[in-house]
Amino acid sequence: MRFFGKFIKKNYDPKTDSDVLFSLSSAYLTLESKMGLKNSGRCALSLKSISGMYFNEMKDDIKRFLDISKTDFELTYRTVTDSYGYLWIVLEGKRMEDLLAGISAVGDTVDEKGFSNQLLAAIFEFTNDRNKKQYLIYNYKRNSFYPFVPVDGGQKTRNTEEEIKMMATIGDEVPLEKDMTLWYPLWDLPL
Amino acid sequence: MVTVRSLIQLSSISRTPSWQRRDNGLTIRMILSFAILALLFVVFLSVLAYVGLGIIPITIIASLMVLAQWYFSDKIVLWMSRAKVVTRDQFPKLHDIVERIVARNNLPKPKIAVIDTNMPNAFATGKSKKSSIVAVTTGLMDTLDDPEELESVIAHELTHIRNRDAVVLTLVSLLPTVAWYLVQFGFYGGLYGGMGYGRDRNNGGVMIIVIVVAVLVFVISFLIVRAISRYREFSADRGAAQMTGKPVKLANALMKISGSMRRVPTKDLRQVEGLNAFFIIPAISGSTIGNLFSTHPPTEKRVQKLMEMEASMS
Repeated sequence: MRFFGKFIKKNYDPKTDSDVLFSLSSAYLTLESKMGLKNSGRCALSLKSISGMYFNEMKDDIKRFLDISKTDFELTYRTVTDSYGYLWIVLEGKRMEDLLAGISAVGDTVDEKGFSNQLLAAIFEFTNDRNKKQYLIYNYKRNSFYPFVPVDGGQKTRNTEEEIKMMATIGDEVPLEKDMTLWYPLWDLPL
Repeated sequence: MVTVRSLIQLSSISRTPSWQRRDNGLTIRMILSFAILALLFVVFLSVLAYVGLGIIPITIIASLMVLAQWYFSDKIVLWMSRAKVVTRDQFPKLHDIVERIVARNNLPKPKIAVIDTNMPNAFATGKSKKSSIVAVTTGLMDTLDDPEELESVIAHELTHIRNRDAVVLTLVSLLPTVAWYLVQFGFYGGLYGGMGYGRDRNNGGVMIIVIVVAVLVFVISFLIVRAISRYREFSADRGAAQMTGKPVKLANALMKISGSMRRVPTKDLRQVEGLNAFFIIPAISGSTIGNLFSTHPPTEKRVQKLMEMEASMS
């Protein structure tokens, strides 16, 4: 049955599953207590930009929403378009709950406007005790998380050992991408 | 018949294309030697049976052959793998690492051997805890730049020795052969024993049944042996993790050695997204069937179990 389950799931239009996203609301505490990884207060959502009125409308909706909810969520935001043509909505806030609520709400807006296929990933930033950055990437298409720890120095290499540790630490709290060949990195994050 | 417990399956490395430029000599040599030994054994016994020897003399001869192999097993293994036992002066660091683990875990120090090949692997063999050998390849020492990873690999081999896996698996691997002969003799004995003469009688149907049953028994017991072998690997991983206290180091070492480390992509997600990489329905891969036949569990499974250990430890 599991095999058929997989088979069917992959053919359907993937939906953003906020339950999976919100599993991070407790897992981030585990990362902090067991690995000393602190939530840096930054996260981002990335989606493929397309030209057209509807897409711009959606962008405005997101901005309007984030402006209004500034007081409720204690979030600040900025948008960046990167060299790949992806739109990044970068959120900053002190509390993980607010970040998750913000990301989830933005994701829902994208979904409502019919652009869920454009959704790439949500990225959560953590810093270790030596102030190095480590990331958890949520892939919308796979509805699961995977770790990404770039090594400093522009060499585009990653620290797989730390990644495995992160995965081991929160493996039973959040759905993780089991297939490591799909742990695609996101270099030069505009966070 | 002689069993060595290598770190990762010897044949699995050659399947990875990125390793093909590496020296596969060890793999080929070991597999060929094992195959030839096993074949000789079977052919010899078959000839004896054909010549008309009874079940008792054949059993005695077979046992003698097994015993001889058993007695010379470490020499045979060293000869086949071209591993050289090395002294402390030649490889001081390696000796240090081994001594530290055996001292911490109250184990006798095994002989240490080195194989000069680029292919990263390690194995343990030996009849008893005291006469055991741990061999590592020079490729392994080059690949694992972190001493703690090398330590984990050696701990894995030491666990095989502690669990007496070479002994257990040598005995267990006789099972298919024994089963094969029991079935054959059982049928011959039962069918022809009472009739006086046998082989000249033309009785194709019965022969076919005998062969089918013998093959079935052989295959089933072979699969059981492989399953036991895979289970012992998991145990050795667990034991190694307990010895070092750092499961993630062994996981890392396994990934480096098997080439999985290279399979963790470095290509940007935004680059592959357009290729719809995530919508490709995975075909039922040959590996699902292949796993039944392999002596070692897939690296991913081993890494996953080690990560679960790491999680429960921290």
